[in-house]
Amino acid sequence: MSGIWYYVFTLIFFLFDYFILAMGLNIQYGETGILNFAYIGFVAIGAYVTGALSLPNSAGTAQHYILGLGLPFPVNLLLGGLAACVFAVVVALMTLRRLRTDYLAMVLISLSLVLYDVCNNFVPLFNGADGLYNVPEPFAGALHLTTNSFIPFFAAVTGAIALIMWLVMSRITRSPIGRTFRAIRDDDVVAAALGKDVFRQQLKSMLIGSFYAGIGGGLIIQFSGSFNPTAWLPGETFVVFAVIIVGGVGNNIGLLVGSLLVETLLVHLPAFLPAIPGHPGLIEYFDAVVIGVLLMVMLWFRPQGAVPERVRRASSFGVRERLLGDSGAVSDDIAPSPQLAIESAAGPGDGGGQ
Amino acid sequence: MSELGVLDSMDTLEQNAALRCEAIVKAFQGVHAVNGAAFEVPKGQITALIGPNGAGKTTVVNILSGSMTCDSGREFIGATEVTNWPSHRIARLGLMRTFQLSRELGGLTVLENLLVAPGHQAGEFLFNVLFRPSLVRRQEREHVERALDVLDTYGLYRLRDNRASELSGGQKKLLEISRAVMASPEILLLDEPMAGVNPALIERIGGYILDLKRDGVTVLMIEHNLNVVEQICDHVIVLAEGRTLATGRLSELRENAEVVRAYLGEVIDASTKH
Repeated sequence: MSGIWYYVFTLIFFLFDYFILAMGLNIQYGETGILNFAYIGFVAIGAYVTGALSLPNSAGTAQHYILGLGLPFPVNLLLGGLAACVFAVVVALMTLRRLRTDYLAMVLISLSLVLYDVCNNFVPLFNGADGLYNVPEPFAGALHLTTNSFIPFFAAVTGAIALIMWLVMSRITRSPIGRTFRAIRDDDVVAAALGKDVFRQQLKSMLIGSFYAGIGGGLIIQFSGSFNPTAWLPGETFVVFAVIIVGGVGNNIGLLVGSLLVETLLVHLPAFLPAIPGHPGLIEYFDAVVIGVLLMVMLWFRPQGAVPERVRRASSFGVRERLLGDSGAVSDDIAPSPQLAIESAAGPGDGGGQ
Repeated sequence: MSELGVLDSMDTLEQNAALRCEAIVKAFQGVHAVNGAAFEVPKGQITALIGPNGAGKTTVVNILSGSMTCDSGREFIGATEVTNWPSHRIARLGLMRTFQLSRELGGLTVLENLLVAPGHQAGEFLFNVLFRPSLVRRQEREHVERALDVLDTYGLYRLRDNRASELSGGQKKLLEISRAVMASPEILLLDEPMAGVNPALIERIGGYILDLKRDGVTVLMIEHNLNVVEQICDHVIVLAEGRTLATGRLSELRENAEVVRAYLGEVIDASTKH
């Protein structure tokens, strides 16, 4: 396989992987309004646990880590996702009951820093700053895959997983549970007054999102075979935020577009460009500036994102619609006169019936 | 026997009062917004909560609906004590409220605003969403049918697919009421449902509230417009400085010197100046 294909499939992998990560953050932030600034921490837990579970017992190796059960793919991946969920329960119990919006965000970003320092410095946990490496490549032995053929293979596996997770997420966001999440996002006091247990619903949203984070992280370590603290600096959370803000908060297809624009084209493509002579690392720094500027431009000119949240129309529920709705349209400034009522009855947008 | 007699009177009390509060106290940094308010809201009737500005009317509604906790006092819905329950648990007992300044769920459509309201939705459980989609879909269709009926009744059908944030002030008032109605409440607390709407709409909202009474809903409404109170309310509670000053019919209260001095006088003065 020539070098160019190696790059292309790596980009495709990150496109799908960040699509998964974006869906997870979107259900938390875009749908439920939880400003989870610790998101990359959940990704890291998923990655570490997935990797450590597939590695053999650490006793005979140069690495230090817990678990080490030598579990096969995708069992280790699922458990990695669940590990992120366990962390989500701990975080939710600590923060969600008491804190809202900005304060919640501040505590979460602090938590993310604490987790980072623990993983970076406490070597027996996940090998400290060196991180995990030599993680077995899934199916590589069984399918006789070489390093070159593994990359397109695993990009395809990730694509299939992303497709399944997109179908599941679409069903969640379109059903009453997603609507209740959005109600909490728009006004949690109203949601509570309508009988919704806000904490319980937020916890559900955190769990769903964290599972997606864990799976996305697990796929990264399986793809690259290694994972260490430089891969999840706390600022990485904002790359995922950039994906969902650029793509469109609350729209799953928008997240794929955001993943393509931000993660694939801006974060990973430039890493493959040749360095500018005499200025090593300039491209990477310039990259961060471009993402920041893009974020500002989007928030200023198109806050709804490239593909905005869609309106769920009454006709999509598959119920019969009335031939003609209310005859008395509501007007604030003028009392409804007979003339107005006739106009509104015949007006555009009223033809819901057949 | 006297004991039985006591029980009897308690029974009738519980039967007649849908909502009852005793000696409610709430202070904000030492200022007593509510200072011993105590009253009963008779079942199946429309009760007005009136009083001068700062009397603590909205605070009382916030406490009764669980949006706020009280420092002391007790609250009962029927025979159940619900003092300082969180609002979602109070709502599940059938008490719904609207807000003084409309709080629509702006990102949702008008129809979706109503669809949030029904309790016990199968589709709010992840298991059902993933593994019992036909149950979720069937229940959802029933809710949509009913929501469209409610929207039709309240004159919002035409706006069903609009985002709630796009509605006008009067439309938002109607949305608040219809959303609460969608939850099939037994008790409805309305915080100034007529504030800032045009006279034609006031009449319509008054009609809707009377319809709700006909359907057996108990209504407690904060209202400043005494004409409205006179026309639709069966019972009036006057609140002043956080206390219950008097209760009764409006015509009786007009004879009560204390009430006239604290509140009605103010209103009558204001209306004669015009």
